[in-house]
Amino acid sequence: MHEEALLKDIRQKLIEESTRASPAQIARVRLWIGALSHLSEDQLRLQWPTVVDGTPAQSAELDVTTSRDTTNPRAQGLVLMSIDVTEPGRSPARTGPRL
Amino acid sequence: MSVRTIAVDYLARVEGEGSLRVRVHDGRVDDVELQIFEPPRFFEAFLRGRRYSEAPDITARICGICPVAYQMSSVHAMEQVLGLRVGGQLRALRRLLYCGEWIESHALHVYLLHTPDFLGYPDAVQLAKDDPDTVRRGLALKKAGNALMALLGGREIHPINVRVGGFYRVPSREELDQIRPTLESALDIAEETVHFAAGLPFPEADEDYEFVALQHPEEYAMNEGEIVSNRGLRIPVARYDEEFERAPVGYTHALQSVRKGGTPYLLGAMARYSLNHGQLTPRAKAVAHEVGLEPLVRNPFRSIVVRAVEMVFACEEALRIIAQYDPPSDPWIAPPDPIPAGVGAAATEAPRGLLFHRYRLAPGGQIESAEIIAPTAQNQKRIEEDVRHVVERSLALDDAALTGMCERTIRNHDPCISCATHFLRLDVERT
Repeated sequence: MHEEALLKDIRQKLIEESTRASPAQIARVRLWIGALSHLSEDQLRLQWPTVVDGTPAQSAELDVTTSRDTTNPRAQGLVLMSIDVTEPGRSPARTGPRL
Repeated sequence: MSVRTIAVDYLARVEGEGSLRVRVHDGRVDDVELQIFEPPRFFEAFLRGRRYSEAPDITARICGICPVAYQMSSVHAMEQVLGLRVGGQLRALRRLLYCGEWIESHALHVYLLHTPDFLGYPDAVQLAKDDPDTVRRGLALKKAGNALMALLGGREIHPINVRVGGFYRVPSREELDQIRPTLESALDIAEETVHFAAGLPFPEADEDYEFVALQHPEEYAMNEGEIVSNRGLRIPVARYDEEFERAPVGYTHALQSVRKGGTPYLLGAMARYSLNHGQLTPRAKAVAHEVGLEPLVRNPFRSIVVRAVEMVFACEEALRIIAQYDPPSDPWIAPPDPIPAGVGAAATEAPRGLLFHRYRLAPGGQIESAEIIAPTAQNQKRIEEDVRHVVERSLALDDAALTGMCERTIRNHDPCISCATHFLRLDVERT
C-alpha cells in the first residue's frame, strides 16, 4: 500500500540524478523489487506514468526485476539500481550495483 | 548524443504519506492544501460479498494502532441489523478493550511523537539518549495498554477475539486480576504524564473549533452515544449523513469531510474532553483541575495534556471494570437464524475521534455495501485551517522553521500519518 510513496521517493532520486548528470534526459530506469517487499511489477507499472510525468524520466523505458530471494538483506525493499541518461559528448559507460 | 548508465543503487524509503502546499501572496496566506497521497486502500470494496461476521477481522486490518476502533464500529453496526443488544459484562469487556487501545495509542502519540516536538528533538530515539526516563514512562504506558489488548483481544495488534455479538472467549476473573498491578502502576504514570505535559512550553494558539464527539448520558462515551457538538448539534448516529458530507478534492486521496454547508469540524481527544469532561473519572478530573486545564481547550498544542488526562481516565475506567467483573456465562450472543437483511450504522470513539461505519446486508448476511469514515479524513479540513493560521502568524520564519511549525501543527491532532516523524514535504509559494 506504500507503493506510491516509494515511487515518489524514486521520482525525487531520478530528478536529483538527472540534474547531477548535466542535466540529462533519462532513457531507461532499472528497478529491483525485493521478494518480501509486498510490491509487484504490475503495481509499479500501473503508477509509473503518473509518477514520472513532467520529470526527465517521463519517456524512459522501465525495466523491473523481481527477486525471489527472501534472504537478500534488501528483500523488503524497492531499489533504484541504475539509470541510462542521454547526454551530448559523453562516451558510454556501464556499471551496476551488487544486490 | 550518447547514453551513459549511472549506477544509483538507491533503496527507496517511505518518507511519509503527506505533503503540504502553502501559497502566500503579498504577505497573506491564499491557500493551504494538506495532501495525503497514500493511495485508496479499497477496504469498502473488499468487504462487499463477504459475510457480516468477517467485518471485525477485515476492518481491524485498516490500522495497527487503533484496530479495536474498527472492530467496535463494525460489530455495533452489524448488531443493529441483526437486532442484537450486547449489554452487561460483554459490553463492559468491550469498553475495557477500548481502554487498552486508548492507553497504548495515546502513550505512543504523547511520548514518542508529540513530546519530542516540545523539547526540540527530531524524534523519540534522540530524546531517549538525553532523557531515557521520559521515554521509559511512555513505553511503560504503551505496554500496559498492549497488555489489555492482548488479554482481551488475543494479541496486541489486530486483535482476533472480537466477534459480532461479543467475543470468542472471555477472560477469567483471575486473568483480569493479574493485570491490575500493571494498570495501577500505569494510572500513576499517567497522572505523572499529565503534570509533565502541562509543564511543556506551548506556542500561543486559540482556535474556534466546532468540536464533534459522541455523548452518552451515563459515561464518558466510547462505544455508544449521540453525535453532539459545541454548536448545538445533537443527532443519533443513523442521521450522520444529514449533517455531514464528504467529497473528493483534487489534491488529496483522502475524501474530505465537512459539516453540511462546508464548515470544517474537529474530532478526537480535545473534542471529547471539551464536550464530556464532566463525565471523566475522579482522578482524571482532579488532575486536570490541578494542572489548570480549562474545560474548553482551544489551543491545539495543549492537546498533549488532554490525551494524558484521557490516559488517566482509561486506566481508572479499566480498573473499575475489572473490579466489577463477573464472567458472563456465554462469550457472545448468538445471531438470529436466518440473518435478516438491513442497514446498520454505528460510530465509536477511536483514539483520534469518531469513526463511522455503515453496512447494508443482504438476506443471509452477505455484505452488499460498506462505508467507513475515518477520523483523520474528517479532521483533515480543520487541520488545514490550523495550518493556515499558524503560517499567517509565522510568515517571517524561513521555510525550514516554517516546515517544523507546520509539522507540529498537524501532529497536534494525531493524524494517522503522524507516525512518520518527518513526513512533511512543504512547498511554499511566496509571490
